[in-house]
Amino acid sequence: MPPGRLTRLLALVAGALVSVAVVAGSLAGSHAAPGAPAGPFAETQTIAIPPPRPLRTDPHLVRWAPVNVATVARSAPRAGAPAVAKVARRTPEGTVDVVLVLGHSHVTPAGVWLRARLPGGRVGWLPRRTLGGYTVVTTRLVVDRRRLTATLLRRGRRVFRAPVAVGRPGSPTPAGRFYVRVALRHYRSPMYGPLAFGTSARAPGVTDWPAGGFVGVHGTDRPELIPGRVSHGCIRLRNADVVRLGRLMTVGTPVTVR
Amino acid sequence: MSLPGWLAPYDRDGAIAEAFGVFTRRHALHAAAAGVSAAAGVHGLAADAQAASSSDRGDVAVLNYALTLEYIQAAFYSEAERAGALRGPLAEQARVVGAHERAHVAAFRRVLGTQAVAAPRFDFRGTTEDADAFRKTAVAFEDLAVAAYKDQIPLLQQPAFLAAAVAIHSVEARHAAWIRRLAGVLPAAHAFDDPLPRAEVARLVASTRFVVSRPRTTGAGAPRLTG
Repeated sequence: MPPGRLTRLLALVAGALVSVAVVAGSLAGSHAAPGAPAGPFAETQTIAIPPPRPLRTDPHLVRWAPVNVATVARSAPRAGAPAVAKVARRTPEGTVDVVLVLGHSHVTPAGVWLRARLPGGRVGWLPRRTLGGYTVVTTRLVVDRRRLTATLLRRGRRVFRAPVAVGRPGSPTPAGRFYVRVALRHYRSPMYGPLAFGTSARAPGVTDWPAGGFVGVHGTDRPELIPGRVSHGCIRLRNADVVRLGRLMTVGTPVTVR
Repeated sequence: MSLPGWLAPYDRDGAIAEAFGVFTRRHALHAAAAGVSAAAGVHGLAADAQAASSSDRGDVAVLNYALTLEYIQAAFYSEAERAGALRGPLAEQARVVGAHERAHVAAFRRVLGTQAVAAPRFDFRGTTEDADAFRKTAVAFEDLAVAAYKDQIPLLQQPAFLAAAVAIHSVEARHAAWIRRLAGVLPAAHAFDDPLPRAEVARLVASTRFVVSRPRTTGAGAPRLTG
């Protein structure tokens, strides 16, 4: 008999023995005693199915969703509630816009609604059907305007910290809770450095800015000004730092400015 | 087998094609370079010529196909649990079955190692957040999984993989009976179940439009930020 066939035959015999052992064990309602010699199943099993674990109730986990249909956010989960803000499908840079989902879905006879943090810094209710699939993130960026630092947390643990420049007194970086909407690379604007994140925060001092005055987290061509209070509201990092941040932070990451 | 044209738009990163047995040149080169060594390692086989046999490659393809089905189910139930819109027995079913499906994913990923296909991206289109839609979708998923496993299990060459797949298959059948009961559908409608071929499973999965491409949230346009 060729060696290959012999090996196959032995494997099948071992498999049959395994099945018999499993069935016998199940019928007896018993498991192998601790320390007992491993049977043929233990030696041949290669897919170990781990015990089921409950979903991690991670307090650091948040969900974001792309905007599939332009809509109006409402102050309550019903179509007739006062409007909070218009929500577009695209960011000013042309990418898909996103919202940060807050809390559980709210089911009504007219459909499912979601409470979400919106571009511009407000919170409102959106029909579920206007959004795409969820993505979860466990990171959070904290910008400290007093200490002039940016800190990235993953599952609550610090994974990045760097000095930053924030808005000057006449155009301060707004405090509050926001999120990352877009990541931009390979553009030709040296003043933004090699990488720029657009956030949902809007700088109050520059509302006449062409795209609405959204705050970014980006590099710079003036690293000597970091740390400092020199920007129009954006959060500037040294280029090496923003590149490092770009490897750790994704779109959808909540941003807290304090 | 080539990927049907209507399925391609949902598969920009190649995950479906990979899982459903359409190996791209990149994957073929990767497998050749790796010599299927990862699979051989977990099989407990000697790293000889047999490790790269067609039967091993076949098992890897079957396991990746099963992994993809498990990805779908695990994501579906996990999203339902996170959405928090289900109540009572339905919420319990989602919690328990979700934990099982995540365990199945972990098991397949562990055994496949670097050859495991990546998880697709999903948009369950609100079916995880509405009780009626959830029931119907869960019945469809569980029935689909049972029929898909039934089709693939006879193709497995490694007895150990066979034993594990049978163990999962019976659990999927229990899931199907459970959710059918909750949906008011006869848990065991027939004396014999039919297998469902891969192509038909692929068609059904694609028809749901639950597998989506990654939204374009990165760009190269000039920043229009305040600076």
